[in-house]
Amino acid sequence: MARQRYHDGLALRQALPGRFLPFLVGSMAFLAALALAGGIAAHSLSQRWTHGAGAVTTVQVPGPTDPATTTAAMGQMPATRIDAVLAILAATPGITDTHRLSDAELRALLAPWIEQTGDPSLPLPAVIELHTTPGQDVAASVLPRLQAQAPGVLMEHDSVWSDRLAALAASLQACAGLAVLVVMTVAVCVVMAATRAGLLTRRQAIGLIHALGATDSYISGRFATRVGLLALWGGMCGSVLALPMLLALSQLAAPFTAMGDAPATAPDWHDLHAWTALLPSALLWMLVIVPPAAGLTGWATTQLTVRAWLRRLP
Amino acid sequence: MFRLHDVSYAYGGSKTGVAALSHVSLDVAQGEFRWLLGPSGAGKSSLLSILSLEVQASSGMVEILGVPVRQARRAGLARLRRRIGAVKQDFGLLPDMSVFDNVALPLRLQHRAEAEIAHEVHAIMKWVGLENRLDALPPQLSGGEQQRVAIARAVIYRPALLVADEPTNALDERQAGRLMRMFHRLAELGTTIVVATHNDAIVAKYPAPTIELVHGHLVRDHG
Ligand SMILES: Nc1ncnc2c1ncn2[C@@H]1O[C@H](COP(=O)(O)OP(=O)(O)OP(=O)(O)O)[C@@H](O)[C@H]1O
Ligand SMILES: [Mg+2]
Repeated sequence: MARQRYHDGLALRQALPGRFLPFLVGSMAFLAALALAGGIAAHSLSQRWTHGAGAVTTVQVPGPTDPATTTAAMGQMPATRIDAVLAILAATPGITDTHRLSDAELRALLAPWIEQTGDPSLPLPAVIELHTTPGQDVAASVLPRLQAQAPGVLMEHDSVWSDRLAALAASLQACAGLAVLVVMTVAVCVVMAATRAGLLTRRQAIGLIHALGATDSYISGRFATRVGLLALWGGMCGSVLALPMLLALSQLAAPFTAMGDAPATAPDWHDLHAWTALLPSALLWMLVIVPPAAGLTGWATTQLTVRAWLRRLP
Repeated sequence: MFRLHDVSYAYGGSKTGVAALSHVSLDVAQGEFRWLLGPSGAGKSSLLSILSLEVQASSGMVEILGVPVRQARRAGLARLRRRIGAVKQDFGLLPDMSVFDNVALPLRLQHRAEAEIAHEVHAIMKWVGLENRLDALPPQLSGGEQQRVAIARAVIYRPALLVADEPTNALDERQAGRLMRMFHRLAELGTTIVVATHNDAIVAKYPAPTIELVHGHLVRDHG
């Protein structure tokens, strides 16, 4: 019979078998990774909705080529309404970008209605798209000044939708957080149960080495190191298994989250850099952090469980 | 050396439990050897369990190797246990661990080097005459052989206090004689030793100061 090099009687390989715990912790880590990914995706979508396309304001200027209403202060030739409106918008802080839709864009947009009326020479208003910095109600302050120059100017802001989408994203994030919390609680319970079972199977040996002078911290440290490593291993498996799932999901989500430069097809399978570029860095970090977090949680839970259990010994 | 003052012990708590020791006071100096006598159920094993810090007295003051037990922290008690050797009535060997590993256990818990451990284990196992059974499991040994393994484990780290519960009951006369000579040698080197026994012949052959218990009461000290 071959003698083990180091043998203190705890026989942790028997007390805490190397398959059960990593499998359970791995499943938890997998679920946690998916939940976290959902949270991160909801966050980036809400960023996009509230700061990006969702925050577009449209300004309609009827009769754009009519002369603008001149004010007494303006000692120059009356400009056209559209020029006056554009000038005011350009000078307004909080507006990051203006874009006047070209005639072609406008006709494309209105094609269904124009065809119905059958009159291609129908006078069209000018339409300007505004991008504003989030959180500033530019429309309310600038609209009266626009109307002073160009009567009949209309402003439309889809804040109702972007607000609702932001609220939806926030509740998705809360759900993801809750899911992670539940998964962690279950993981802690699983580790506690496995540790208790391990303590029971080695009860006699623990009593003996306690009587021979093993400290609580020695015994709990031995159990916690074993469980911590098993949980780390489980967490690594969970993270690695979650990776293809997340890549597939982010491939699907790319058109919504990226600024339109996302590749339409999946990168070559061997092009690791392209694949990692596909995942938001927050997701990559999360996948890196899940295994050590699982290991640390397992270690700490076991320390507490074993120390509490050892209190029954004098 | 150890001191007990007015020590009582009851299994299952002092109020409702079975009283095993009542108001025992004792003072044994360093390097002394004592017999512990008394009829079955008198409380001998219970007293030895208190001395080896396996249980805590229900009441009274216990001081072992200069450390007041009640005031000591858990880590302090663990350190103290490493200076106490105990031979249990039921031997207390781990059945799924080889004889070598059982005997090496106290040294491994002290993180001694493996080479040193192997040397010490071989030396002590040679002394108890079991040097060729190192790889056996305890259940594969006879009662007397298991008892010798338990003795080897208790003395391998030269404890300052050695308590032995009927250490000769499974040994033949020659081995019991060898064991007694080893105990006296250890006592000369400064180990305080208490040996509980029913064996009147061996007490008569190796006379020493005696502690006697009856129904948990101390009825004789020294005499
Ligand atoms: N684990 C236990 N639970 C309850 N009572 C116990 C327990 N162990 C011992 N006792 C009781 O405590 C008393 C003292 O027992 P102890 O084992 O100390 O006696 P002993 O002198 O060692 O006897 P023996 O010579 O038979 O070994 C006895 O009445 C016994 O029944
Ligand atoms: Mg007894």
